[in-house]
Amino acid sequence: MKRLIAGLSAVLLGLTLVLTVPGAAASGTRDKWDTRVFSKVPYPGTPAYVFVHTNGRVYAGTYDTGTKTPSRVFEWTSGGTLLRSWTVPGQDLAHSPAIQVANQDARGRLVLLEKSTSAVLTLDLKTGRFKRQATLPDLPLCSTKVAPCSPNSSAAKAIPNYASWGPGGALYVTDYGQAVIWRIPATGGTPKVWFASKALDNVLGFGTTGIVYQPSSKSFLITQQTVGNLLANAPSGRLYALPISTSGKPGTLKTLWTSRPTELPDGFGIGRSGKIYVAGVGPLNQLVVLSPTGKELERFPKFPLLGDNGSSVPFDGASNATFLGTRVLVANQSPILGDRAHHVILDVEVGERGIPNYLPSSSILR
Amino acid sequence: MTLDRRTLLKGGLATGLGALGTSLLEGPVTAATLQGSLPKKVDVVVVGGGLSGLVAAQRVARSGRSVLVVEARKRVGGRLLNHHLDAGGVIEAGGAFVGPTQDHILALANELRVATFPEYIDGKNVYISKGRRSLYTGTVPPDPFILIDAALLLSKLNGYAAEMPVDAPWSHPKAAQWDAMTLSEFIHRNTLNSAAVENLIKAWTQPGFGADPSQLSLLFVIHYIACSGNERTPGTFELNSNTKGGAQESRFVGGSQLIPLRLAQKLGDRVALAAAVTRIEQRDGAAFVRTSRGTVRARRVIVAMPPPTVLGIDWYPQLPSRRSTLLKKWEMGDLMKCDAVYSTPFWREDGLSGSGVADAGATRTVFDNSPPDGKVGVLLAFVGGSVHRQYAPQSLTARRTAVLEGFAQMFGPKALKPIEYTEKDWTKERWTGGGPTPIMGPGTMTTFGSAVRTRFKRVHWAGTETSTYWNGYMDGAVRAGKRAATEVLEAL
Repeated sequence: MKRLIAGLSAVLLGLTLVLTVPGAAASGTRDKWDTRVFSKVPYPGTPAYVFVHTNGRVYAGTYDTGTKTPSRVFEWTSGGTLLRSWTVPGQDLAHSPAIQVANQDARGRLVLLEKSTSAVLTLDLKTGRFKRQATLPDLPLCSTKVAPCSPNSSAAKAIPNYASWGPGGALYVTDYGQAVIWRIPATGGTPKVWFASKALDNVLGFGTTGIVYQPSSKSFLITQQTVGNLLANAPSGRLYALPISTSGKPGTLKTLWTSRPTELPDGFGIGRSGKIYVAGVGPLNQLVVLSPTGKELERFPKFPLLGDNGSSVPFDGASNATFLGTRVLVANQSPILGDRAHHVILDVEVGERGIPNYLPSSSILR
Repeated sequence: MTLDRRTLLKGGLATGLGALGTSLLEGPVTAATLQGSLPKKVDVVVVGGGLSGLVAAQRVARSGRSVLVVEARKRVGGRLLNHHLDAGGVIEAGGAFVGPTQDHILALANELRVATFPEYIDGKNVYISKGRRSLYTGTVPPDPFILIDAALLLSKLNGYAAEMPVDAPWSHPKAAQWDAMTLSEFIHRNTLNSAAVENLIKAWTQPGFGADPSQLSLLFVIHYIACSGNERTPGTFELNSNTKGGAQESRFVGGSQLIPLRLAQKLGDRVALAAAVTRIEQRDGAAFVRTSRGTVRARRVIVAMPPPTVLGIDWYPQLPSRRSTLLKKWEMGDLMKCDAVYSTPFWREDGLSGSGVADAGATRTVFDNSPPDGKVGVLLAFVGGSVHRQYAPQSLTARRTAVLEGFAQMFGPKALKPIEYTEKDWTKERWTGGGPTPIMGPGTMTTFGSAVRTRFKRVHWAGTETSTYWNGYMDGAVRAGKRAATEVLEAL
């Protein structure tokens, strides 16, 4: 995957002028887009997502580090002080151990998505105990006429990627590999395919990423890194809206926004204004601000590629935008260069607060 | 608060503490209680009234939970200890310096209105090598026989440190390899003039660890360097060893012990002195902390003691074997601070900073330790590691002579005639057991290191050694206290 991003990056670098944006002022009240380093992410680095817990603290895991080192989960204060860390047990170290802190449950346990074993885990912060809640199965292709199936064009493994609680306390999990969204019932249980669509199929493995439930519109927003056919069109991503009916069934998937080629939209946050802040993990190295209807409003930095945000560390594989007060925290993955000095969480002032994470009281796994 | 004030404050300090001046606060009695019974039950007992324990207690108290700090000594501060000069002014017999990226201790000091002042660095430093005296600026003496070797060596160490996970050094892919050798062995494998380089590096390890390179695991040292920074600034040898721009950049006006003293003052009767813990029992859904002043039942316990001293407690059930072995192997360094006081800082008039490094003798690493007003001059020698083992057994007179002669070699004969001489041997402190920090030899960190913060049922671990950044320093103590309090408050 990293090799593909590198290739795309090289093409774009050849086409684009090298421009920079002056750094934002950093004083008292922060200017919009003022960017600072929140924290380095200790070895093995490569943070994937930043989660802000209702306890006020910040969590991130290490993802696809290119090592056979077990993944780690880190905890920071809201001010960026590293507090604790945990080593993830039971990973298949031969197959890209990776962990994403995707959410929390109503008991305060972290919900973790583990790549090498396609597992949904919880981590009890009080005891440090990990618990395997579910394993996402590898599905046959729908062309085999076996149900349940994945409408991918070619077979892919299950890769739990992002998770959002939905109505009634069920957990909805995107699958980076397979073109489905999983539903794990409230109080836990066997994951079932809730939604499947060719629109969630990927190009060269860049699949479905962020998912956020919006109770106001009773729909999920979902990001897709690539869609379509590599030979027919450039691999652009999407922001989808997917309603959920009162019976719990998925409605019709609607495209709100199409990203630029190679943008690879990843995690996103939603401001109280309704604006959507999408991070692109691809080589454009920008945050994109969208209106609630998906109209592109702004990009930061203004110019792509260099990721010059005015801080000491540029955007380099920005993988999410998670609200903490009026800032968004952005995990820098550095997927192209693998530059460990860029494995940081960045703190970007955006001038508005985010909507609260949807966390119904029934959002409790086993 | 479940503490009963009637049972406390029998030390006669129940009133007027807020108005007490610094000098009285630094006496043997502080805001805490010295005698009388302890409360039967609190939410949290903190064992150890050093900086880390007091910070933890402050955090717990602020949350509204009841807390009691039990401290064996009749003072607070642990390895922070002020010394009042006969001629006026305060110096530290223990930890003293702070520097950039030590944000937590600096923020706490600011909160407690303890100001800093820059360590005096104007002028040249003195380097004594093979009996020859030369002057230099910066941290590393520009010895042509050493400089390139040392620069390459330090560059390597910084590079390794940049990759080191501060929270889990044992998980680094090269952890086993680095933990299988000492810093001394690494020096010998990577330098040409190895003996001279190692001798120079002793000027860093003896004050910094109370140990020689031959005692230190390379992994432990790399981790220590990695920890000499913060979440935004990678730790480097320079941040650790430099005066300007490094960990020795500043000191506290009134002495570093003012910080724990003021914390204790705020905690008031929640600090019990002369209450050495003899046994910790965990049973019946609680922890029972037995002290020389009575037993306290707690829902959680934070232990903030130097690691080896934890083994002096009778534990029921017994400590897990990994924890126990870690504590046995995590020995305190050997360190003494020797200060000579002069009527003026005369070396400044000669264009000297008061800092010096020597390759032999009792005064291997020297600093200007004068109070901020500079009315009197103080030279400080760190006597650590093998130099400590050489000089500590000597008589005070012989050692004093050796130290003053070392000072004189650096700064001239005026150094032979101080108006006061004082020294503090931390190896003789029963409740500390050495200084400035515990050290790890080969094999310890990879085998037992992961137990460093692993809680033992209801017992959580604080103390600077358990910090992810600046462990062994005041900043690490504050960080560890905050982290332990977070753990405990989450568990309550």
